Amino acid sequence: MGTAVIDRYVTDLGARLQGSKKQVRDLLTETRDSLADATEAHVGRGLSEQEAQERAVEEFGPVREIANEYQAELAVAYGTRTLVWLAIVLPLMHMAWEYGRMLLIGPWQDFAAMPPAWYLFIAKANDLTSGIASGVALVTLVLGRVLARKYDSRRLAKIGAGVALTAVGAVFLGNVSIILATAHLDVARLAQSLPMTVASAITWIVIVRLGLLARRCLSCATIVA
Amino acid sequence: MKPDALRGHLDALLLATLDGKQLHGYAIIEALQQGSGGALDLPTGTVYPALRRLERAGHVTSDWSTVGGRKRRTYKLTQAGQRALNAERSAWREFTTVIDGVLGGGKWAQQ
Repeated sequence: MGTAVIDRYVTDLGARLQGSKKQVRDLLTETRDSLADATEAHVGRGLSEQEAQERAVEEFGPVREIANEYQAELAVAYGTRTLVWLAIVLPLMHMAWEYGRMLLIGPWQDFAAMPPAWYLFIAKANDLTSGIASGVALVTLVLGRVLARKYDSRRLAKIGAGVALTAVGAVFLGNVSIILATAHLDVARLAQSLPMTVASAITWIVIVRLGLLARRCLSCATIVA
Repeated sequence: MKPDALRGHLDALLLATLDGKQLHGYAIIEALQQGSGGALDLPTGTVYPALRRLERAGHVTSDWSTVGGRKRRTYKLTQAGQRALNAERSAWREFTTVIDGVLGGGKWAQQ
């Protein structure tokens, strides 16, 4: 008669979950194994296969309740992964861009006229944004580990998603600001070097990708499974 | 024993179950039920998110390995988990000593 009751339960559970595909697959594999083990144990105690599967599923818990607990952990895992990406990628991306600029365009002082103070302020703020966003992501990761057992998982996931969205938002604003400021000052500088234009395009692709990851973090943390 | 009463202690119970052992999920559930003489009445599905939480806290590690011919995720305590378990045991002993000192002498407690 197969494992119809278990299959139905696992399918229903899986349909309610959102997160990294691998994490969801791992949780569902563990669930299926656990239900199969419980069924074997109940068959050993004299129940029919059908009764044993139904008992195993009943003991495992109502699918809605279990899905909510699973979802909280999936959301934290997704948030953690996103924060790790932010902590690593943001400073690397910024350093790579700055190194390229120094190599291909040269320091700002090499321009005919020194950019005005307001422009340098925006440039400096943009330089710092990636570092600060990366640092905040790192601190959140450490706090998340320390508070893992003290704080509700769902709340931790929401905090992680909030930090990720804010960090990406700050980097996005920093980049938009420097582009607008440069366009205002001398629009030709934006297309001064083809390799740097390509580097800028890659930077924007990475920012958008990180933004999508951060938005999915929030979705995972707020979905009602 | 009611699930709500157990939830606050689930982490400690899982750490104690894994003390000196490497077990897969269902073996942990069986050990919990056997250790309590069947009195622990918790939806077994709540054990897996709790194990993930302990892993996130660095108190357990997990590996996929083949047990009984099937590929399973097995869990074991880390050094930090061992320290956390020792702290949980001390806190529990202190708690029960204090509560027992007050409630233990009551008439109803003897019945």
